[in-house]
Amino acid sequence: MIPKPLQNCGKCGLCLNVCPVYKILKQEQTSPRGKLQLIKAYDHNTLASSDLLKDIVSKCLMCGSCTASCPSGIDHYSEFMEMRKKMADVQGETLAIKSLIYLLGREYRLKFGSGLARTGQKFVPDKVAKTIKLGNIPLKNFPKLNSTPFRNANDEIILPYKKQIGTVLYFTGCATNYLYEDTGFAFIEILKHIGYKIIIPKDQTCCSIPLLFHGASDKAFKNIITNINALTNHEADAIVVDCSTCGEALKNEYPRIMENQEQGSVEAIKIASKVIDSLSFIDQHFDLLEFDPNVTDKISVTYHAPCHTRNSFGSNTLAEKLLSKLAFVNYKQASDVNECCGGGGTFFYEYPEISKKMVDKKIKNAKAVQASLWITDCPVCRMNLSGNLDLDDKLKVIHPLTLIHSALKQI
Amino acid sequence: MLDIQIKNQFINILGKDRYLDRIEELACYAYDAFVVEALPDAVLFPETTAEVSELLKIASRYKIPVTGRGAGTSLCGASIPIRQGVVLCFSKMDKIIEVNTRDRYIIVQPGVVNADIQKALLPFRFFYPPDPASMSTSTIGGNIAMNAGGPRCLKYGVTVDYVLGMEVVLASGDIVRFGSRNVKDVTGYRLSSLFCGSEGTMGITTEAILKVVPLPEATRTLMVTFDNLDNTAKSVTDIIGSGIIPVAMELMDKLTLNAIEDSANLGLDRNAQGSLLIEIDGVKEACEKEMNKVIEKVRQNGAIHIQEARSDIERENLWTARRSAYGVFAKLAPDIVTEDVTVPVSQVPLMIRQIIEITDKYGLKVGVLAHAGDGNMHPMIPADKEDKAEWEKVKSAFSEIFQAAAELGGTLSGEHGIGLAKAQFLPLVMNKDSIDFMKKIKRVIDPDLILNPGKFV
Repeated sequence: MIPKPLQNCGKCGLCLNVCPVYKILKQEQTSPRGKLQLIKAYDHNTLASSDLLKDIVSKCLMCGSCTASCPSGIDHYSEFMEMRKKMADVQGETLAIKSLIYLLGREYRLKFGSGLARTGQKFVPDKVAKTIKLGNIPLKNFPKLNSTPFRNANDEIILPYKKQIGTVLYFTGCATNYLYEDTGFAFIEILKHIGYKIIIPKDQTCCSIPLLFHGASDKAFKNIITNINALTNHEADAIVVDCSTCGEALKNEYPRIMENQEQGSVEAIKIASKVIDSLSFIDQHFDLLEFDPNVTDKISVTYHAPCHTRNSFGSNTLAEKLLSKLAFVNYKQASDVNECCGGGGTFFYEYPEISKKMVDKKIKNAKAVQASLWITDCPVCRMNLSGNLDLDDKLKVIHPLTLIHSALKQI
Repeated sequence: MLDIQIKNQFINILGKDRYLDRIEELACYAYDAFVVEALPDAVLFPETTAEVSELLKIASRYKIPVTGRGAGTSLCGASIPIRQGVVLCFSKMDKIIEVNTRDRYIIVQPGVVNADIQKALLPFRFFYPPDPASMSTSTIGGNIAMNAGGPRCLKYGVTVDYVLGMEVVLASGDIVRFGSRNVKDVTGYRLSSLFCGSEGTMGITTEAILKVVPLPEATRTLMVTFDNLDNTAKSVTDIIGSGIIPVAMELMDKLTLNAIEDSANLGLDRNAQGSLLIEIDGVKEACEKEMNKVIEKVRQNGAIHIQEARSDIERENLWTARRSAYGVFAKLAPDIVTEDVTVPVSQVPLMIRQIIEITDKYGLKVGVLAHAGDGNMHPMIPADKEDKAEWEKVKSAFSEIFQAAAELGGTLSGEHGIGLAKAQFLPLVMNKDSIDFMKKIKRVIDPDLILNPGKFV
């Protein structure tokens, strides 16, 4: 149980203009302030559970912007997470979400599922793939699954190119493991280049954020224990993540969830203190990067700041700073760089119409600066942004790690 | 619940998506930033003037209370549907119709957020001066209804000073337009002064022509600290008395400064008894001259530390400190109450002393914050609403603070409005004839009393 916060919502309304969902729907019940009001009423038994209540509570990207901007210091994020669990328990979940929870709850199921899906991707005729949409994203625009899961394609221990300056544990997250291996390979190359020994603990699993968002806290708890064990079996200077949502989980959710547990609470705090997102880590070691002097052509780049990068690590400005420091990059800021893209875990699937409005606006403003690369450090944002661009669009979406790696000097 | 026949008439105009009446939805329109709550029967989202007119005709026919709402940030409960009926919410009527900086105006629909007006004007290097603390969220319709102010209104004036023209739908559904695109216009009554600040009791604004002004060439910002709160307040009267009107002059007491420093660590002087954040803008040379004068005045009053912002970042930091005050106090207890009594500038020192005496008497914590240049006080009292005894003390303290302000020739509200919060205190500052006069006007314009009933008039 989350202890009840000291503060009451003062209803000042400052959360309205930072809430991506409110900004589209413009109705109070979709705002963080409105949701808190409903949660309070439900907890005080003045409002009964209903499908509508569950729908209102789910209509949230869990981006954390309300929490980050609340003058009273209310932790909406945890309040919403708790309420989602209650709603899932009382109202149940849709079949699609249940399947997702089933898959994410066990690593072997995920592997098996991705194998099946890969086979499926091959067998879905092009004509069909072009017309089917999953959420707001056409099926043909989904990323191809990695041919081998990233963690299977790599050794558990990888040694650096140069003299070793330290050891990092790499928490890859599901996205790099199953979808975006390019991010993972780029990160490994950069870490080797800097001089880090990399350990990719084999028995790590889904960070459990998607499970928590859908109220499956029992399954989440099992995953958390598995990850705590996987990450404490090795000594390291830092635990690096290339997905800020996984990072947020390790940094904030694990210590919170493990707080009153007999075992694991100390380890969770220790893990949290070592977690760092890829961009912050690179920034700290920027002077150790040697760039290829032959890369002289400037490439124009714009950036999309993922909500969890912004609200959990505050490293969104860091990303922009890094991009400006890269000699081969001509950084062009989009006017809405810090606005949510509408991806939000499974939000794009559950509320395609709302999500589509957000992503279309992002695309319009990104195109306005005429960049050729769109950089973002969150796999769901990447899937949502690239999935809503045409396959042959000139604007390509990649992780910043891939961009940085592409300009490094060969050692 | 509304009669099904009436409900269908509303839906015929708006469609199903813009009519809400399920309990989960209504519960979110029962509140604003004040502490009272009341459920409406339905929430309607008009998008055009014609729709508003049709809706009001129906409301008039069936005598259904109508409470206007923008973003629901009222601090006095003006947007709470205390007599039920329908909430007319303008969040979806949010178009900027015309930006014309050559003729110095902007035309907007009521649901446009104040900050979005600023954003639209910035490329032209213009701005719209009224800057309520809620400006990132609050809508212009609400700003007009409440005649909103803010820190920089010291120099620039409040909302009513910027309303050139309006389109208003009356309770009957009649659509009236007055004023124009002209900065000078004495054609007919200046009706904007009647509707602006009427808190939705006179009519519903559906369009506004607002005056805009060019951004100043230079801005200078100072943070000054004193070892004595009286001297802090006296500096304010001295600066104003010397003929300088700064953009803003924000006063913070020791408790407020320390509370901010505890949470934000901005390097503020913890021993200072009072501080002033002073901002001046205008032509570069004039700013320089005024700045010297301001420094001379604060020195004469025993300023112990004067710090000028040397960059935009430093300036932003100083303002961040000021703006974070509310949040910092809000964290001291489950709830926070803030009021906005206003006194003539010369009475600021005395008013501050009285606020502290009154709250001390009740054993309450108070942060004294003020837009001191225009005498607009913001005492903030953190408390727990669930603690009945403490809550009674808070109410008594504020009642005495209102009384004290009235005795100093002050008024109940500088910028938040009367609404539900201060209706009972109106006789402190207005005699019976004056209150009756307001009621007479109200009855002529809204004979069935359907517009925002249960409020101050």
